[in-house]
Amino acid sequence: MKNLLRAAAAAVAALALTACGGGSSTDPSNVSPAGEIKPRKISWLLSRPADGAVINIMKKLAEDYAREHPGFELNLITTPDRPSYIQKLETLAAANKLPELFDTDATPFAQQLAKQGKMMDAEKLLKSLDVYEDYRPGALDYQRFDDGSLYMIPFQFELEFIWYNKALLEKAGVAVPASLDDIPAMCTALRQAGITPIAIDGQDQWPLERYIAYQPFREAGPEFVQKLKKGEAKFADPAGQKTVNWMAELGKSKCFQDGFSAQGYSDAQNQFTSGQAAMYNIGTWELPSLATEKLNPAVRDQIDFFTLPTTAGSVTAANEFVSPSGIGMAVNAKTYDPLVSDFLKFALDKYPAEYAATGALSPTTDVETAVPANATPLYQKALDQAKDLGEKQAMPWDTQLDPTTNGRLQQELVLLVQGNITPEQFTATMDNTIAQNAPKFFK
Amino acid sequence: MQTNRTLPARMLPNRSRTSVLVFLLPPLLLYGAAVLFPILQSLFLSFFSWNGISEMEFVGLDNYVRMFIADDIFWRAFLNALAYLAICLVLQLGGALVVASLLTSLTRGRELIKTLYLLPAVISTVAIAFLFVRIYSIEPVGLLNQLLHWIGLGSLERPWLSDVNTVLAAVSAPEGWRFTGLYMLIIYAALIAVPKDLEEAAVLDGAGRWTLFAKIRFPYIRPVWITTTIMATTYGLRGFDIPYLMTNGGPGQSSELLTTYMYKTAFTSTDFGYASTISVFIVIECLAAVGLILFLLKRKADA
Amino acid sequence: MITQTAPAPSALVPPTPAATRRRRRPDLFRTLSRVLIMLIVIVQVYPLAWLFLTSLRTEQDFATGDPFALPSSLTWENYAKAFETGDLGRNILNSFVVTMGANILIVLLGMMAAYAIQVLGFRLSRLVRGLFLIGIIVPVQIALVPLFIDYSAVNLLDTYQSMIIPLAGFSLPMSVYLFCSFYEYIPKETYEAASLDGAGPYRIFGLITLPLSLNTVVTVVLVNSIFIWNDFIFANTFVLSEELKTIPLGLQNYIGAMGKVDWTATFAAVCVTITPLLLVFLVLNKAMIQGLESGATKG
Repeated sequence: MKNLLRAAAAAVAALALTACGGGSSTDPSNVSPAGEIKPRKISWLLSRPADGAVINIMKKLAEDYAREHPGFELNLITTPDRPSYIQKLETLAAANKLPELFDTDATPFAQQLAKQGKMMDAEKLLKSLDVYEDYRPGALDYQRFDDGSLYMIPFQFELEFIWYNKALLEKAGVAVPASLDDIPAMCTALRQAGITPIAIDGQDQWPLERYIAYQPFREAGPEFVQKLKKGEAKFADPAGQKTVNWMAELGKSKCFQDGFSAQGYSDAQNQFTSGQAAMYNIGTWELPSLATEKLNPAVRDQIDFFTLPTTAGSVTAANEFVSPSGIGMAVNAKTYDPLVSDFLKFALDKYPAEYAATGALSPTTDVETAVPANATPLYQKALDQAKDLGEKQAMPWDTQLDPTTNGRLQQELVLLVQGNITPEQFTATMDNTIAQNAPKFFK
Repeated sequence: MQTNRTLPARMLPNRSRTSVLVFLLPPLLLYGAAVLFPILQSLFLSFFSWNGISEMEFVGLDNYVRMFIADDIFWRAFLNALAYLAICLVLQLGGALVVASLLTSLTRGRELIKTLYLLPAVISTVAIAFLFVRIYSIEPVGLLNQLLHWIGLGSLERPWLSDVNTVLAAVSAPEGWRFTGLYMLIIYAALIAVPKDLEEAAVLDGAGRWTLFAKIRFPYIRPVWITTTIMATTYGLRGFDIPYLMTNGGPGQSSELLTTYMYKTAFTSTDFGYASTISVFIVIECLAAVGLILFLLKRKADA
Repeated sequence: MITQTAPAPSALVPPTPAATRRRRRPDLFRTLSRVLIMLIVIVQVYPLAWLFLTSLRTEQDFATGDPFALPSSLTWENYAKAFETGDLGRNILNSFVVTMGANILIVLLGMMAAYAIQVLGFRLSRLVRGLFLIGIIVPVQIALVPLFIDYSAVNLLDTYQSMIIPLAGFSLPMSVYLFCSFYEYIPKETYEAASLDGAGPYRIFGLITLPLSLNTVVTVVLVNSIFIWNDFIFANTFVLSEELKTIPLGLQNYIGAMGKVDWTATFAAVCVTITPLLLVFLVLNKAMIQGLESGATKG
């Protein structure tokens, strides 16, 4: 028994040591540290595709930089699977072992890291590097916390559209919806024609969560979710009830494929690209699969897209919808030094041109995206949407809500759409969950 | 254990205290450092509120009170875990015993079948989860629904993983199926060690297959059977990958297990204190289950 | 554990008069059991076959066709893609190092502990056994955060050891347990005879216990290799650098933006990565038969 107690005491010590030893030596707003540039190996913990454009370009830029600064090395540690990545980030943060650079969304967890002075002020940093003005305001806004502070740097810019199959819509005798409220009826008509209305990736959960964000964004603007997550707005409010009932109606009209909750990303896309499903909601990161000759020839000429429909009395405009700039990169304040600063200056300066050359939308406006040779006309049409965007954007709720509420919402949403629970039950459960969890995260 | 109760199981008459230590210390050292110490740290954490980056705040028994009284998901996950365990056990132990017995009656090809039977265990869970999602699918129609349709049970067709009534069974089956081969091998190794003269004597006395099994073989393999049961039970209660990958606990909480719930509490909600509380419960739950197995199987042996 | 007392057969088994029925029954039984075995084998083998077939499909065929039908055309392209995307050779090597390292610890330390508990025996052996029981049943996930903190304190993060130690530690109890229950089969008389010949505990371990446990060693290695080869959770938590990534981490490289997965290439990679494990199984299976045969004297 004595040994047990001793071991417990040692455990206390081990945990307390790391939990309290988190004080950082660097001031998060001191973006231009004085001193000599001493090349060393730095690491970037990231959650991006292993052979994707961002990683390939940063690898190349790091090599270029190392030629001028022998001894420098950028170690890219990627975990593309998001849940595994988040687990890794959290354990590293708990052990106070975060590397020089790390990826995170503007989540409540990240905000706490920022509050503790663990991340560099990105707005000041970008301004000091003289690139701040180049960035699309929307790309930066996506990375901001609610108080407007900016701690993450975007590397992408994407627009989310609802892609559709013209032939299938025609077959069912329906037109592109003018309002969000037209969609349930549209689904009923498509189902009657034997067509799956919307292919959705239910397994990853964020796609369904997008839908519940749409009505409130049109009805009450981007502020709704900011209030909702703190418990200041409720699902019981009119805007909340509208979206809850709309989601239930989408379910009743069988808008999504049967058994969608277990279907993965590729399954959903395959259903759309093989001409089985009429609609598919996805962002411009899928342009290479949807708007190039890689697309199944049978449906290639039938594909088009529309942006998020408005509603009667909508407070946001048609050119305002979901336009995320992807997971952002945070700069660790503890390890920030002249080298990190100098490398970022070098890399952020050269990155946009390289990135735009791959056919993707850069988070900055100073470069033109190169359309790939095998692109269909839709490619350019999609890119052009970025030129005419409104000021507001619909934020994905999964980056906004506290993680416990978010997890519960994702689960209850499936039940609501499948008709396992009523809108009333959904409303009660969710408002209750927010009331329980929000205070812990947003005090 | 009966012999142990009366005197320590000492098979060697002359052994020194040092020799016990020499053999015992290295394993205990590794075990203590890799397993016991972190468990103690977990136990310690369960009395705190900590999100990994904040100051740790002592909350006493708050986490335990919350778990038992205020958390509806916890109880749902607990019941699910029991159902999941039951299905896994039937598939793994029942299946293993049946196949191992059948194998002993086979004259040729045993080795081949043993190897083939073990195949699912070597495939990574990611691939298994992906395959079963397709087997259970209805739109596009998957293998299971196709089969049901062919044999005239079309009315049973459903999205197995989205139906709140079938999802738990649907996620248990792959886990059970996956390790049947493993347990079969262990039981088979024990069955084959049953002395032939015992069996032959019984057959000469006119024992049927069932009597042979129930009176000769099974009592003989009972120690291995207990080990296997404990193994399957604890792995079943720790089951995580496949439900996590296939449904992530959904739809709703229909396939949420204590382990997936604990993992999410720790790494999604960053509530390490509460997650530790749940894992303390899992440890106690497993201890109780093992105790129960030993009690039941021993009593039968003594009877 | 229970001491083995097989009941005397004649006392328990009532004689059946129908001798003729007994002769016919085995045939029917045999046919039935053959059919049953074949059916089960199909169920067990099918997924692997499906995996392999899918890895030979073109992406287009996989996306549009019936995933359970035979592929319309076969291609090795996915294998080329698989090798291009990830460093499969290195992943396999790493998994091999980790599996071997952990297995050596598990087998050696497991045998030692079981020998101390079951054969040598000591006053607190029941307590130690109980202590090991806790390890069998603790869910590994919650040990992650404490372990991570401990490892970073002693600078073990991002090493082979950081994977091997917890994997071995968490598998050790099961190994101890298996060895213990198999050691019960070794009759006390064997030890007594050796003891009378003047052999001490170390020599007895080396000369009697160790050789006799061969088939158990195979079982333990077999069981643990499966879990360790496919372990994701420890590797994902403790490994950061590309050079140390094991197979399950390597397979992550096939995940694209927003969770999109190139499944045909992934399956090609899965097929490549399970091949070594399959080969080991084929070899171990042989060793297992030998172990069983040589162990026939033990009963």
